[in-house]
Amino acid sequence: MQEYNKIPIKKDEVVPVAEQMRAKGIALAMIHAYLDENGRGCVSYEYEVGPAIMSYTVEGENVLPSISHIYDLAAQWPEREIMELMDIVFEGCDTSQRLFMPDSMMEGQGQILVTPMDKLIKKVKGEEE
Amino acid sequence: MSYIVPIGPYHPALEEPVHARLYTEGEEIKKAEVFIGYNHRGIEKLAQQKNFIQTLVMVERVCGICSHSHAFAYAMALESIAKMNVPKRGQYIRVITAELERLHSHYLWLGIALHIIGHDSLFMHTWDDREAIMDILEELSGNRVNYGMVTIGGARRDISDETRKNILGMLDKIEESMNRLTDILLSDKTVALRTQGVGVLTTEDAIRIGAVGPQARASNVPVDVRIDAPYSSYDDFEFKKVVYPSCDVFSRVVIRVLENYESIKILRQALDNLPKGPINLGTRIPQIPAGEYMVRHEAPRGQLCYKVVTDGGETNKRVSIHVPTFKNAPTVPTMLKGNSIADAGLIIASIDPCFSCMDR
Repeated sequence: MQEYNKIPIKKDEVVPVAEQMRAKGIALAMIHAYLDENGRGCVSYEYEVGPAIMSYTVEGENVLPSISHIYDLAAQWPEREIMELMDIVFEGCDTSQRLFMPDSMMEGQGQILVTPMDKLIKKVKGEEE
Repeated sequence: MSYIVPIGPYHPALEEPVHARLYTEGEEIKKAEVFIGYNHRGIEKLAQQKNFIQTLVMVERVCGICSHSHAFAYAMALESIAKMNVPKRGQYIRVITAELERLHSHYLWLGIALHIIGHDSLFMHTWDDREAIMDILEELSGNRVNYGMVTIGGARRDISDETRKNILGMLDKIEESMNRLTDILLSDKTVALRTQGVGVLTTEDAIRIGAVGPQARASNVPVDVRIDAPYSSYDDFEFKKVVYPSCDVFSRVVIRVLENYESIKILRQALDNLPKGPINLGTRIPQIPAGEYMVRHEAPRGQLCYKVVTDGGETNKRVSIHVPTFKNAPTVPTMLKGNSIADAGLIIASIDPCFSCMDR
């Protein structure tokens, strides 16, 4: 079994942790996110530390600082994806172009992971009231 | 004269939809942009509504080439949350299927690359060899694409002694023709002219952008999850991490050729030492407690990440899938810069892209 360690951090620790990891030459495996039952963001920054994954996790925040200036496209693409799929914003991330979703689903309510399926079907068919 | 040359999203030369915009001066590409998402199916959304076995079947359909990798990684994530110990024979069967999948995937890419550079006779030889691997996968699993070899807690199908011997026989056959293919690929003038110095991704850029798998190893970055963070039974086998320093399309050819030999090495060890015993922990829908885990698997195209969050219920709370193409596609604009328009197709193909995986 691969080692996986979850480390809770605060919002203002996101950038310092990323800077420390980058300085040590540690790769960012991925940024993952989901919303809890109250709609609050849970974002994990998964770093490859030796054979283990160190998952630095911020809970309860829907606005976070971007680390795309530290990890370049390795962070920018995951941040853009998360912003398109759910209501979590990364301040400082370039979102001038869409990544996955059609442009018509980028009006603040196209986040498919958190939109009920019946509403999504209506939206795709252009039947939304 | 400056032009903007659009390629795709739907184009006869593309197997799957993607859009590239090339900003050129004359024949030279000065800047490039890549646009993705034309194949988005919302699989992560669907995974939140399905039980664990249904999800296992569904994630195997994320990709038509590395289908086993998706099922393998998803099952590992759940088994890690539930602290299940997969029987050794089941682990070996998973590894055998994974390495057969890597072999056919690398052969597929070599064939496509040769077709793009106009060496169609070698392309047909390559795919002829690939056919032997596909036939074995069909004998092993009953399927040529979605093998259905994984269940949560082990393997779904056993390997008979006859099939075991047939796989070993097939390996002897393709290794012999691989030797011939390697000699040609590494010495042929057409291959050299079209691939050497083309689509360079320096080691620094590969690390900066976060490239993975053969794409990273072809830029001299020594990363391979099977060795860096061993899982399943990979630490039972002796094999090398292959890297090559020329950082161009030729390097990506060399890496895949050499990795085929490593896969053959792993397969022979696994088949010669296939443990006896059960292949799984039973076939009932498992009870998975609340928890979360992220696992990494070395898919044919590179590191595949699965993060699964459960709440103790019958469905997934979140399944987050991050595939190698998602990490390698951002390297394409860097590789295209400074090359000619005529090489754009080959350079895009050189990352072995899978937009079905990436869009999921």
